[in-house]
Amino acid sequence: MATVSFQQASRIYPKAERPAVDSLDLQIADGEFLVLVGPSGCGKSTSLRMLAGLEEVDSGAIVIGDRDVTDSPPKDRDIAMVFQNYALYPHMTVEENMGFALKLAGIGKDERATRVREAAKILDLEPYLSRRPKALSGGQRQRVAMGRAIVRNPQVFLMDEPLSNLDAKLRVQTRTQIAALQRRLGTTTVYVTHDQVEAMTMGDRVAVLKDGVLQQCDTPGALYDRPANVFVAGFIGSPAMNLVTGSAIDGGVQVGGAVLPVPREQLTRAAASNGKVTVGFRPEAVRLAGTGEGLPVRVEVVEQLGSDAFLYTSLADAPDDVLHSADLVVRTEPRTPVTTGQQLWLSADRGALHVFDAQTQQRVD
Amino acid sequence: MTIASGTVREAAIAAPAPDRTELPGRPRKRRQLTRNRWGYAYVAPFFLVFGAFSLYPFMYTAWVSLHETSLSNINGGTWVGLENYRELLQSEFFWNAARNTLTIGILATVPQLCMALGLAHLLNYKLRGRTFFRTVMLMPYATSIAAATLVFSQLFGRDYGLINTMLEAVGLNRIDWESGTVSSQVAIAVIVTWRWTGYNALIYLAAMQSIPGELYEAAEIDGASKWKQFLNVTIPSLRPTILFTIVVSTIGAVQLFGEPLLFAGNGTTSGGASGQYQTLGLLMYQQGWSNFHIGQAATTAWAMFMIILVIVGVNAVIGRLRARADR
Repeated sequence: MATVSFQQASRIYPKAERPAVDSLDLQIADGEFLVLVGPSGCGKSTSLRMLAGLEEVDSGAIVIGDRDVTDSPPKDRDIAMVFQNYALYPHMTVEENMGFALKLAGIGKDERATRVREAAKILDLEPYLSRRPKALSGGQRQRVAMGRAIVRNPQVFLMDEPLSNLDAKLRVQTRTQIAALQRRLGTTTVYVTHDQVEAMTMGDRVAVLKDGVLQQCDTPGALYDRPANVFVAGFIGSPAMNLVTGSAIDGGVQVGGAVLPVPREQLTRAAASNGKVTVGFRPEAVRLAGTGEGLPVRVEVVEQLGSDAFLYTSLADAPDDVLHSADLVVRTEPRTPVTTGQQLWLSADRGALHVFDAQTQQRVD
Repeated sequence: MTIASGTVREAAIAAPAPDRTELPGRPRKRRQLTRNRWGYAYVAPFFLVFGAFSLYPFMYTAWVSLHETSLSNINGGTWVGLENYRELLQSEFFWNAARNTLTIGILATVPQLCMALGLAHLLNYKLRGRTFFRTVMLMPYATSIAAATLVFSQLFGRDYGLINTMLEAVGLNRIDWESGTVSSQVAIAVIVTWRWTGYNALIYLAAMQSIPGELYEAAEIDGASKWKQFLNVTIPSLRPTILFTIVVSTIGAVQLFGEPLLFAGNGTTSGGASGQYQTLGLLMYQQGWSNFHIGQAATTAWAMFMIILVIVGVNAVIGRLRARADR
């Protein structure tokens, strides 16, 4: 068990124009489950590999516990990693796979067998100990990869998209299992994923990265309720937050012919750079308004999910100054009598508006 | 180590696993046959050539081996049944040649494959000028056996050979490479090794590059040193490739001919004054083309074929047992 900290850690690939990871500062508490999330190429895997020792650290430092491991080889870091493709040794049985690190560490045969069996019991792998990876299903392989990590009882677990090779149903199942297992073992865990649902459901805290730069690191709730900038606002949440950009006028932000009301003081600060303001509101914060009130939209697609329905709409009088996105998603009661092509008027809940400076993309409260 | 075995190697690497879907019922089969007639037409030229220049001579050799006949009158021999085979098994020349073939084969194949593995491992690292090294490795393979052997026989020369000069320079005695049994066989093995190491290294390299990098990273995190990674990741992943190169090299070793023929520099088939490096290939040639006993030579050829069959069969059994154990 240990804390992990990235201190201004950067990785610059040779011949790259910008750093893959740019001055990353992250403090991870003992026993915490931290998720690194972001679109592909954002540097999340590189960050994890820097922590693992598989990737060089060009500047800054990485500390595990109270040990600076910046220049230590992976084996001296007391970490275990679960790979995206599991990286199981194909010629070894499940038992040998799980016990390989212990064998290399010079741990005796009996203790090895005991520890492997304990881990196998936790993961329901006991019947498969003598099988080879080839003879296992995807989910079982995934569990063996987990088992290989927990057998070693390391200070930190590193997981690099461990669920991305599972089918959707199994992924949801395994997601909760991994989270529960981590809580039970209490081992500090850094988990990389591109799936924001995975990030939100599993992490104690979630760090959002983009282009090698940390955007925000907070609890899932805080990320959802108070995204620090336009990128986080659009990335976290499914369906994504509606983001529209318009000019600041008296009383709010003008989007097409309609005005989204924003408090004056907030509006002034948000419009300080160039007079444009980006306003965000989540699909569930949108109401259907009376004819002629609010934003006029045309319904493009209706998605019935049973528990609720999503309307994918486009602004009816798509104005030139709507810069960001003209598509608005609305969550409504299921079986709302709405048909494709229908004209609707939308209004957003007043307290649920997220306001951003359109120039700096930063949140304004 | 003949040139012809090269094509077998490539074919075996390129060929995908055969599709084993069984087709039920006979009418289906017939329809398949007509439907695929263009396919058969396309492969026909190969089988025509194969039949004319491989299968027919092969069967004809078997026929000849059952006759007492000479080179000038191949068709006019007298039927002797298996007499030639009995003679062969009782001939000290055959056993001498078989022994030589075996020892030269071991002396050549084992270091050759070990060195190839090591070379491939080195070339698998990100090196500057990797393509250059790969090309250089393949150059001995592209050299003609005759040219290479003649150069090597100069190097191994007793009086003016470079190797003896170097031995003397470091205070050792000269070796009469050609006349000694062990020394001549070692020298021939060196030529074979020189010629084939790079080729096998390339095969290993290709196989190594298909090992996922994640496996090495996992091993590194598990605490495996580079050497342990080589033993626990590289070697097991290469096992099928290693088995394959062993089979092919062994077949080549049984057929060894050009190097011992030209080693003395004069192309005699006796394999040295006391036959100290006469291989089965040389013996066959001597029987047929020096002594004109073409029936006897055909018998030796078939004996070589049988030996190869046994070796390949044993390897296949080992491979299958391993595969079964893996399951």
